[in-house]
Amino acid sequence: MKKIVTLLIIALMVFSLAACSNDESTNSDDNNKEKVFKIGGIPDQNASKLNRRFEDLAKYIGEETGLTVEYVPTVDYSALVTAFERGEIHLGWFGGLTGVQARNVVDGAEAIAQRPRDEEFHSVFIAQKDLELKKLTDVKGLSFTFGSESSTSGHLMPRHFLIEEGLDPKSDFDGQVNFSGSHDKTWKLVESGAFQTGALNEAVWESAVEEGKVDLDKVSVFYTTPAYYDYNWTINNVDKDFGKGTKEEVKEALLSVGEDQKEIMELFEADKFIETKNENYEAIKSVAKKLGIIK
Amino acid sequence: MNNSKKFIHLYSKSLLSLGLLLIFILSLFSINWEDKLIHSGGKATLAQISRAIFSPDFSGEILHLSFISTWRTLVYAVAGISLAIIIAFIFGVLSSGILFKNKTTKKIFMHIFRRILGFMRSIHELIWAWLFVAALGLTPFSAIFALAIPYGGTLGRIFSDMLKDVSNKPIEALDSSGASNFQILFYGYLPMVKLDMISYTMYRFECAVRSSAIMSFIGLGGLGYQIQLSLADLAYNEVWTFIFFLVSLVIFIDLWSNILRNILIKDNNKSSIFGLNFKKLSFLLILTLLISSWWFIFKIEGADIFSFFSEKNYYYTKKFLSELIGIGRDDIAYLNLFHWKNALVLTLQTLNMSILAIGFSTIGMLITVIPVARNISDGSLGRTAKWYNRILFSIIRFIYIFSRAVPELIWAMIVIFVFKPGILPGAIALALHNFGILGKLSAEAIEGIDARPIKNLSTSGANSPEQLFYGIIPDIMKKFITYIIYRWEVILRTTIIVGFVGAGGLGHQFKLSMSYFHYTEITLILVCYILLVWFADILSDKMREIIK
Repeated sequence: MKKIVTLLIIALMVFSLAACSNDESTNSDDNNKEKVFKIGGIPDQNASKLNRRFEDLAKYIGEETGLTVEYVPTVDYSALVTAFERGEIHLGWFGGLTGVQARNVVDGAEAIAQRPRDEEFHSVFIAQKDLELKKLTDVKGLSFTFGSESSTSGHLMPRHFLIEEGLDPKSDFDGQVNFSGSHDKTWKLVESGAFQTGALNEAVWESAVEEGKVDLDKVSVFYTTPAYYDYNWTINNVDKDFGKGTKEEVKEALLSVGEDQKEIMELFEADKFIETKNENYEAIKSVAKKLGIIK
Repeated sequence: MNNSKKFIHLYSKSLLSLGLLLIFILSLFSINWEDKLIHSGGKATLAQISRAIFSPDFSGEILHLSFISTWRTLVYAVAGISLAIIIAFIFGVLSSGILFKNKTTKKIFMHIFRRILGFMRSIHELIWAWLFVAALGLTPFSAIFALAIPYGGTLGRIFSDMLKDVSNKPIEALDSSGASNFQILFYGYLPMVKLDMISYTMYRFECAVRSSAIMSFIGLGGLGYQIQLSLADLAYNEVWTFIFFLVSLVIFIDLWSNILRNILIKDNNKSSIFGLNFKKLSFLLILTLLISSWWFIFKIEGADIFSFFSEKNYYYTKKFLSELIGIGRDDIAYLNLFHWKNALVLTLQTLNMSILAIGFSTIGMLITVIPVARNISDGSLGRTAKWYNRILFSIIRFIYIFSRAVPELIWAMIVIFVFKPGILPGAIALALHNFGILGKLSAEAIEGIDARPIKNLSTSGANSPEQLFYGIIPDIMKKFITYIIYRWEVILRTTIIVGFVGAGGLGHQFKLSMSYFHYTEITLILVCYILLVWFADILSDKMREIIK
């Protein structure tokens, strides 16, 4: 006991040595194992739903392509972009804006697939029902919440359409603008009464309504935005790591999702994936540039 | 001239308190109190959240999750603090100057290493975490280093101070007997500061557990992550379950370190629990924790030292740093007047938030502290003990522990449900966390006062308020102010963190710039932040001198 400090230090040193040697063994294990193909998605809604959605899809892609596919959850939109940049995520389910950010930092990254609805995606503006709002400009003077800072349908496009209507999100709301963090949280905050109005992803709203989670006596949609391109699967330079043709195989697997994968697609609020390309997101890019989000 | 100096000297404490009070009142004006500060539905939400305290979710699934998350939180805290001890020991010894006999080398070394330690602790662990994730990716090391660096900085500073304060005589004796510098360190200095080192480290370990819990913000699963998920689902009863687990963990460590400290100070080898020697038991527990934590991190969490020193990490670290500097860019934020202006406004807001926070904490402390001091509640300080004193004592003590066991960031996540975004919810969250700490320290200060003069007052017929004003307050004012200044420094460092969740100031801008990958803006924010922390350091040193 007298030499507790010294002993502790010795224990630590011995242990870090032991840890190093442990490490060598795991490292060589890694070399024998085949590489894991990692998919990720922006954490835009209820985490348990996202887990089921991506884990099931990872299994499906694995079966189709013969790769070992794993889903890596993230807590933050920008963390997914960073992981994609570092090549730690091979296939990412991005929003319009995060997809643009991701392809900006990785040369050769490609948007390969999306849901039919993503070609014509909408945001909905919701409000507490008794406010009886009719048009977008009615939000003036009320409290308002966006979703995540990096969200396309929860922040970028709603902000864009607000500005188009001559509203300034900085000064026209009651109090500072809030970022709830996710679409599900946005409607929950409006429903609970914490905020009077908010904007979110139409697909998330519809599925919440369908599942009967939202109390429509308390909160309702009063404005739907014009259409824009949104969510997409963006793939990294995978042929380098997994062999030539991997990108095509993965794309093929995504596009051939059909009746048999109905349960997976339900979690995506769609019935299939269709082809897309980088150029489809030019409009998003220019809006983001105009708002100073992308430089 | 001389007279006014004398006056200032005589009343320095009162003048300083008056000044601090004025600053706090001024800071209150920065908030527009006429606006509705609470969300339209804020009261209802507050009611929902409060009700949920009494019906936490103890279902099997949530309990299972709680245990796993508590374990992960503990594991990262242990790993972080064990690295921090090594850092602190090396840097602390070097910055104490005891290894050097030559005066100039000593001075230079002390200066350099003090600065390094200062820098390490001036940046909050969550900011370190974010920087590490950007440079190294989401590995367990990012979180461990993020904990180890600021904690190493704080511990190192304290270790260095302890070493410097060691009495000279035994050291000189060793020196004259021809012992080498290292022999002097291990046989002269260390045995003398060992106890203080251990007890302070235990205290920091408790803090590390809280910090580890909020590492979830950068993507590490643990109690903070679960709290975040449950908050996102507005499942308040789950939130409270996880918070209860966090509080229990903190209380356990607090109790353990209290007992250990007492035993070490009294050098009491006999004390035992379940027939086992407590010291040995503690030692075994520490060892087990160390081994199992590092084992868990390497085996289960898959940390990999080799991939850590890889070419890839080197490449991305370099890239990240050059992006922070803005190499090859023409829109460098920190060279832009407009950005500076914006950042300075936010810096002032942040400063303002910290003043509000310490003001609120002080008010909270002053209201609650009197019934909480043991010598007041049991009547040994003159006042007669009433039956309700004991109850009040227990309730407030529990509130103290509870409020400080929950990290500021988590308080902020909850408070933001009720208050509109801005500096007020940030200040409230900071105050909720800090008033418990301030209260505990201040209660201990009251417990430490000399009872005789007060007893005299009491026997001469003074009633309670009179006892308070003439007996207790002058005696403890100095200590209170010292604690308040010290907590203010800590709060300022943390203001940036509560901004992440929408509580205004530099923190929110930091989050935005991170989301949009505007790296040179991040540099600018960090520069402002570090300047602010330095300013606070200098200012509080000056204030401490005044009341000395």
